[in-house]
Amino acid sequence: LADLLNLCNSQQLSYVHQFVSPLLKKDPFTSLPDELCLRILSFIDDPKVLARASQVSRRWRDLLSDDITWKNLCVKHDYQRRMSEVQSSSQIPAAPRLGVFAFGQHQDGDLATRSFPGALTSNAVAMAGSLNFEGSTSHTYNPRPRLKSYKSHFKQRYLVDAAWKTGGRKTTRNITQDGGVVTSLHLTPKYIIVALDNAKIHVFDTEGNAQRTLQGHVMGVWAMVPWEDILVSGGCDRDVRVWDLTTGQCLHTLRGHTSTVRCLKMSDANTAISGSRDTTLRVWDIRTGLCKNVLVGHQASVRCLEIKGDIVVSGSYDTTAKVWSISEGRCLHTLQGHYSQIYAIAFDGHRVATGSLDTSVRIWNAATGECLAFLQGHTSLVGQLQMRGGTLVTGGSDGSVRVWSLEKFCPIHRLAAHDNSVTSLQFDDTRIVSGGSDGRVKVWDLKTGQLVRELIAQGEAVWRVAFEDEKCIAMALRNGRTIMEVWSFSPPEDVL
Amino acid sequence: MSTTEKATQKVTLQSNDGSKIEVDRCVAERSMLIKNLIEDLGDESIANAPIPIPNVNDPVLRKVVEWCEHHRNDPPQSQEEENDNRKKTTDIEEWDQKFMQVDQEMLFEIILAANYLDIKALLDVGCKTVANMIKGKSPEEIRKTFNITNDFTPEEEEQIRRENEWAEDR
Repeated sequence: LADLLNLCNSQQLSYVHQFVSPLLKKDPFTSLPDELCLRILSFIDDPKVLARASQVSRRWRDLLSDDITWKNLCVKHDYQRRMSEVQSSSQIPAAPRLGVFAFGQHQDGDLATRSFPGALTSNAVAMAGSLNFEGSTSHTYNPRPRLKSYKSHFKQRYLVDAAWKTGGRKTTRNITQDGGVVTSLHLTPKYIIVALDNAKIHVFDTEGNAQRTLQGHVMGVWAMVPWEDILVSGGCDRDVRVWDLTTGQCLHTLRGHTSTVRCLKMSDANTAISGSRDTTLRVWDIRTGLCKNVLVGHQASVRCLEIKGDIVVSGSYDTTAKVWSISEGRCLHTLQGHYSQIYAIAFDGHRVATGSLDTSVRIWNAATGECLAFLQGHTSLVGQLQMRGGTLVTGGSDGSVRVWSLEKFCPIHRLAAHDNSVTSLQFDDTRIVSGGSDGRVKVWDLKTGQLVRELIAQGEAVWRVAFEDEKCIAMALRNGRTIMEVWSFSPPEDVL
Repeated sequence: MSTTEKATQKVTLQSNDGSKIEVDRCVAERSMLIKNLIEDLGDESIANAPIPIPNVNDPVLRKVVEWCEHHRNDPPQSQEEENDNRKKTTDIEEWDQKFMQVDQEMLFEIILAANYLDIKALLDVGCKTVANMIKGKSPEEIRKTFNITNDFTPEEEEQIRRENEWAEDR
């Protein structure tokens, strides 16, 4: 055969080549058993490649509809951890701060067939870690019917991710004709709630359509907390008010504080705890409207508080933080170490994180009161703080956002986020959203620390940001007016 | 026998077409199948008789042995590393890339042999090689690469194209 080929001229050889080369080609997916074909596909992590491959032939299409491949892809893209996919889309009423319990209600048979193995536990843990932290911690339901296969799950998540990066739909609404300061913003499964220093509280549905305005406070509202259809608010007029969000009716006016109410949280559906410039914390039964306890001990204004179970932690301008038992009404530990006022606090049930005007962040053991870590890096007031799992994210008046490991107590990323103060921040497993007094809203990749996108690049100041899986809300000052931008990253229905 | 003696002890492998290949024991034991077999049969057994490899022919077996020779000193892969590698993309070291420059028939035979002989690292190199041949190509280019006939009707093709549009760059 070699002799024969040697006799051929190049034209003939070219013919031979054309004839022979397809014969040397072979479809790997008909030559190999399914198991090995899927192994090959497991090395592909670009959905575009898989989508194209599924258009090659029937055999390829069938192989690529195998859910294992898409499951692998979900794992590679870290798409397995979101709460919203495991939660049902159904009518179970929202309990934004009760994720773990609400979650339990959804463990029906269907869940086992479609969710990720192990997702239950990791989700429960993630939720536990993310409860009750500053900024909106509300978790959403998926408004869509539950997704069935890994492929459609992947597609959904991929499209949402793509929309966060380059797409999304935005609506902008004027909230005031003048530039009132937004003091508080909450995004819950049912509502967007905005409190202002002009004494008003505005309630919107999650699309941003105005529902009602809660009027009753006579001076600026400086703190509020939603719980399903209840809202508790407080401010300069020293009153704590309990509202029914479905009717807009004020159910109770709770009196007792002798100065501005600066922070508010709820520990269960009946109990709210307020912190005030009068140096005390008050524990309220919001059903009866009675004050159950007054927690006395701080020497100056109580600026921030956080609740987990029976423990409330408070940060004060007296430079200390205190750990209190709610049921016993007494102080268990005083956390001493900061040189200046404490502005922000986070608590995961074990660790307390505090941010101070002395530019440092401290981590404390809530059970012993011991200071576990002293995190330095910010060059100005640390006013923003969120803890989630093993990660802490802080924001300061120096304009930087810092990501810290709570396992090693060391810095992971330092983001040069804003020209001026960081006014608001929130993060989840994937991203950080920060807002600054430079008028910008930026989205960051939590893992890499890279800037993903600017959602708002113009404007005079951003007061607050809040987001969940497929939605982001920003309150900003633009042309002298307070505006609300609502971003939706949900894929259009017809694409799914 | 010392460990070094064991490593260089000769083992004869016999392909399904009867040819015999003599290799060092440590080379043969890159295959978990052979390693387990020798453990079961005992050290002496291999000195006396060749080990039959009934699923693999001579050219493929020689190719596999060549790979095992080159990688004889690789540290064994831990389970964890293996999982990590699978998460990683399709990087292949240069020697392995060259090694895999064979016709497709041979490539698939190597993958089958690596699977049968239980040589995970070689199996992965083979699978990555095929994955790389699929990447960055349109459906038609993939068909050309592997000489695949498009067996969709035009209607089906249009439908499946629309179903997969979401993954294209937006």
